[in-house]
Amino acid sequence: MKRRVIVNGRSGTIKIEGSRLRYDREDGVLIEGEFSLEGTSVLLNGRSYRVSKGAGTEIWVNGRELSMDVFDPRDLRPGQGMAANHGRQEIAASMPGKVIRILVAAGDTVEEGQGLIVVEAMKMQNEMKSPKSGRVVDVRVRPDATVGAGEILVVVE
Amino acid sequence: MGRYPRDTTGYSAVMFHKVLVANRGEIAVRVVRALREMGIASVAAYSDADRGSLAVRLADEAAYLGPSPSSESYLRIDRVIDAAKRHGAEAIHPGYGFLSENAEFAEACATAGIIFIGPPAEAIRKLGSKTAARQLAIAAGAPVVPGTERALTGWEQARAAANSLGYPVLLKASAGGGGKGMRRVDRESELQSALRDAASEAGRAFGNSEVYVEKLVIEPRHIEIQILGDHHGNLIHLGERECSIQRRHQKVIEECPSPLMSSHPDLREHMGQAALKVARAAGYTNAGTVEFLVDRDANFYFLEVNTRLQVEHPVTELATGLDLVEWQLKIAAGERLTLRQEDVTWRGSAIECRIYAEDPDHDFMPAPGTIVHLSEPSGPGVRLDSGIFQGWNVPLEYDPLLAKLAVWGSTRETAIHRLDRALAEYVLTGVRNNIAFFREVLADAEFREGRLSTSFLERFFKTRKKTEADPESEAAAALVLTLESNGSGSPPLTKVSTNVSRWLDSGREELLR
Repeated sequence: MKRRVIVNGRSGTIKIEGSRLRYDREDGVLIEGEFSLEGTSVLLNGRSYRVSKGAGTEIWVNGRELSMDVFDPRDLRPGQGMAANHGRQEIAASMPGKVIRILVAAGDTVEEGQGLIVVEAMKMQNEMKSPKSGRVVDVRVRPDATVGAGEILVVVE
Repeated sequence: MGRYPRDTTGYSAVMFHKVLVANRGEIAVRVVRALREMGIASVAAYSDADRGSLAVRLADEAAYLGPSPSSESYLRIDRVIDAAKRHGAEAIHPGYGFLSENAEFAEACATAGIIFIGPPAEAIRKLGSKTAARQLAIAAGAPVVPGTERALTGWEQARAAANSLGYPVLLKASAGGGGKGMRRVDRESELQSALRDAASEAGRAFGNSEVYVEKLVIEPRHIEIQILGDHHGNLIHLGERECSIQRRHQKVIEECPSPLMSSHPDLREHMGQAALKVARAAGYTNAGTVEFLVDRDANFYFLEVNTRLQVEHPVTELATGLDLVEWQLKIAAGERLTLRQEDVTWRGSAIECRIYAEDPDHDFMPAPGTIVHLSEPSGPGVRLDSGIFQGWNVPLEYDPLLAKLAVWGSTRETAIHRLDRALAEYVLTGVRNNIAFFREVLADAEFREGRLSTSFLERFFKTRKKTEADPESEAAAALVLTLESNGSGSPPLTKVSTNVSRWLDSGREELLR
C-alpha cells in the first residue's frame, strides 16, 4: 500500500507492507522500520507514539501537532492548486462571532492594513484588516449580525 | 448527607444545606466538588449552551437560567435569584467573572434572603471601581502607581492627564478585570482611538464604559496577595501568587511562591501587610485578592482588589494546603476564621497554566468547537481543574478557558519538570489550544531562572522557535491515517465518544442474537 503524504506543507510518500513501513520525504529524510498499531498507540522500531486526530488535517503525536493529509496518488486530479488571484479579495470570518462595528462602506478606497470590520468572539474584539489597497466593492453583513466561520464579510478589489 | 461537622467549631453558625452555583465551566465544577465534599447539596445554574456541561452532570440539581448569551443568563440577577428560590438554595456562590463582583447582585441576594458567598456589597462597591480603590489604598497607606484618581470625563482631560504622567500610559476600565477594556498607549496620536476602543470594550464586557489612565510601569512583575476575612474581625493573608506571564493582560501561568521571594525574604510579609491595610479599610470579608505591580527594584504598587475567588487560587491551595472554597463557604455561613496568620505556612512550589481554546500560532484567536479526543494528565503532584470532556462543544459565547493544570513540587525546578511531564501527557484535539505552547514557555531559560515580567511573552514571541515533531512522529501519524483511510486501522481514531455505556451496547447485542 502506498500513499502520498502532505505534512506541514512538505510532501512525501508512505509505503506499508505487512508490519513494515517506509516513510520517504521529498527533502531526503527517510524513516524505515517495523511497526505495530493498537488503537491510538503506534510502536515504531520499538519506540512508542501516541497519535490522536483532531478536526480537519490536525493530528497530534506525543504532544506535538502536525497538519497532515494522506491520499492515494491515483486519486489526484490534475488542475488542482492555487486559484489565480485576480486582485479580488474576500475577507471572511475565521470563526463564529458577532459583528460589532463596520468601519467602511461599499465604494470606499482603503489602504492595505486598514481596519474594515470588528468582530467579537468569546468576548475578544478583533479588527479585520484589508489585505490590499483598493476599493471596497461589497459589505455583506450588518452591525450585530452573527456570522459563521468562513462567512464572507467584506470584498475588496 | 450532612456529613459536614456542623458543631465542631463551637460557634452558633449553621452550615448551608443547599447552595446555587451561579457560574459555568471549570469554576462551577470546582465549587460543586467542594459542596459535595462538605455534604452540601449543589445546584448548577446553566444556560442553553451549558445544558450538557460537566458542572450540570456533577451537581445534585440544575437550574435553567436562559439563552446562551451571558446577558440573558449568567448576568441576569433576577433569573439567578429566581433559580436559587425555586430550588430552595440558602446561598449563592458566584465563582469568578459574571456577577461575582457585582454589588447590586450582592444586595439583591440580601433582599431575597439569600446569602451571597463573597464580601459585603459595600466592600465590593468601594473596591469594585478601580479609581475608588486607588483612593482607598492611598488613604490606607498602601503605595500606588501614579495616575488619575477618577474616571476620565473626555478626550481633553485624557490628553492632559497622559501628558502630565508622560508616555507610555495605560488606559484601564474602572469596572474591569482580565484585560478587557485595557490599552497601552505609547504616544498622543494613539490616545483617541485607544480611548474609544477601551471604552467600547469595557461597556460591552462590564456594562460600564468608564476608563481611567495610569503611568505604565516598565516590565513589572504582577504579584498578588490572597486574603481571607471572617465576620468576626479576623483577617489574614495567604501569601502571594506571581502572575507575570500574561498575554494582553490575561494571566496564563501563575505560581506560588513568587521566584522573587527567594532573593527578597521580607517582601511577602510587607506586601501581605499592605494588602491587609486595604482590606481592613474596605471592611472586607470572605476571600479576595489584592493585586500589586512590582518594579525591577522590588518596590510594589497597589493595583486593584479582586473581590472574589481568583481563577488561579489552586496554586495557593497547593502551597498552603488550605481549601479556599471551603473557607468561603464556612465564612459565609458565619463561622469564625479559626486559622491564625502564624498557622499559614508555605511548602514547596506550585505552578498552574490555563488551558485555553485559542490558537497560539494565530495571535491566540479564540477557537470554539467540539473536543474530538481528550486524554487528561494525572499522577503525582498533578491537579487538574477541568470543565470539559470528550465530545463537549466549547461554546463561542463565553471565555475560552477550558481547564487549569496545576502541579506541586518540592522545589520550583521539580514543579517545572512535573508540569512539563503533565503537559506531555495531555491530549486535547479538535479545539485549538495552548498546551504545546506552554511546553515551549517552560523550556525558556528566563522562565526557568524565574526572571519574569509582564512583558515576558512579548519577548518570548520575538525569539520563539516553534518545536516541530520529528520525522518518526510524522511516519507514525502517516501510518495511522493511511490504515484508517484504507479501512484497515484499529478502532477509528476520529470517532467521538458518545457516552453510551458498554453495558447498554452488549445488552443490545444480546437482544440481536
